[in-house]
Amino acid sequence: MRTIAQEFSKGIFVENPVFRLLLGLCPVLAVSITAFNAFGMGIAATFVLLGSNIVVSAIKDFVPSRVRIPAFILIIATFVTIVDLTLNAFLPDLHEALGIFIPLIVVNCMIMGRAEAFARKNTIGRSIIDALGVGIGFTIALTVLGIVREILGAGTLFGFNIVGTAFEPMGLLASPPGAFIALGVLVALFNVMFKRLGIE
Amino acid sequence: MREGLRMAVTLLIIGGVCGGLLSAVNSYTEPIIEERQQREFLEALEGFFPEVEEAEEKEINDQKYFIAYDAAGNEIGVVAQARASGYGDEPIRYDLAVDMEGEIVGIRVVSHTETPGIGDFIAEEEWQEQQIVGLTFDDEIAVDVDVDAISGATVTLRGIVSSIREEVDTIGMEFLGLEVEVVEIDPSAVDDGTYTGVGTGFADDIEVEVTVSGGEITDIEIISHDDTPDYFDQAAAEMPGRIIEAQSHDVEMVSGATASAEGIVEAVADALN
Repeated sequence: MRTIAQEFSKGIFVENPVFRLLLGLCPVLAVSITAFNAFGMGIAATFVLLGSNIVVSAIKDFVPSRVRIPAFILIIATFVTIVDLTLNAFLPDLHEALGIFIPLIVVNCMIMGRAEAFARKNTIGRSIIDALGVGIGFTIALTVLGIVREILGAGTLFGFNIVGTAFEPMGLLASPPGAFIALGVLVALFNVMFKRLGIE
Repeated sequence: MREGLRMAVTLLIIGGVCGGLLSAVNSYTEPIIEERQQREFLEALEGFFPEVEEAEEKEINDQKYFIAYDAAGNEIGVVAQARASGYGDEPIRYDLAVDMEGEIVGIRVVSHTETPGIGDFIAEEEWQEQQIVGLTFDDEIAVDVDVDAISGATVTLRGIVSSIREEVDTIGMEFLGLEVEVVEIDPSAVDDGTYTGVGTGFADDIEVEVTVSGGEITDIEIISHDDTPDYFDQAAAEMPGRIIEAQSHDVEMVSGATASAEGIVEAVADALN
């Protein structure tokens, strides 16, 4: 049995969904054009993950195993719709920037994966820790990718110009192929780092 | 069997709880979202009518119209939240602002799915300003007449222009008290004789002489016109014959010379009244 600290940190480092497991990449690649969008997407996904992990863990003893997948999807979809409506009401700019990728959180395999692999077998407390760890790991990964792409692709960070006018932005990094290239480089860096630290 | 029932009931309960939760969240966020969309619309409204203070909503045929008032409470114009069908799958959604004289003062395309590079000119300010803004209720508002044709984008252009025509008509008649001039040719009750009438062609007035005999138009002669001869001659060659044959205003126009053709019909109608 892992300790609470291990349970929390595994999602950020060893089992980071983006850099280590390569899960949920569709929104990762699509919305990481700017750091703010990436961060917003990370927080939205974390909220859904937290909600679905809590509820799935709470009802795990009542749901017959054969219908657990539709039940999970219903629960996840509910939280996603709550996020969708809330963002539309309070953060319309972010809502518009994330667009279709908010409803698509429903089919983000990272969230389904945590419900299936963790929450339905663990207590509510551990499921919360797990959701926070994985969610923060996802948010950090997305934001790092967003920062790299925004600085190199547009010369700004969180909308502020930070590199001066002499810098010629690399438009490639703002485009979809740039997302794959930047992600590939980051995954490679993390692999090297983990090897150095002796973590597999 | 019992297991099947348990599965169904479990899903039913989860679905019910989820649905209830969502309807609660929705009833809380819906007014906020609507208020924001309304605010965005009001900002656009201010772009159309800078002195707008308040707007009143009216619904006609499932479509929303907003009457804009200034600080003193005077009506200053009407904005339609309109839809046109173009080439794309989704309708072109746009706002059309018309002032109290029936003149288009602004158009804002809210969303469209027209082909990029071909049909998306409708969202460009340059096209809107040059082709649409300034047209009035009394204008034709038709492709080839007062809106330039764009080859390769016929469907998009005709879709939005005919929709604009309809909106201007609706606004003019429902809100501004304007009336569409009815062009009607009915010689059955006209005494025998020769009459002259004037209609508006492409450039200026067209004058015609109409001969009626036994309740029927027997001859139409063009007295004067100021239109481009190349086009006008096509209309002048066809239209008198068509009107005499139909004994009615309900005739096909001459394509390429629509404005001249319509001017002739108008002049004939004028002569008989």
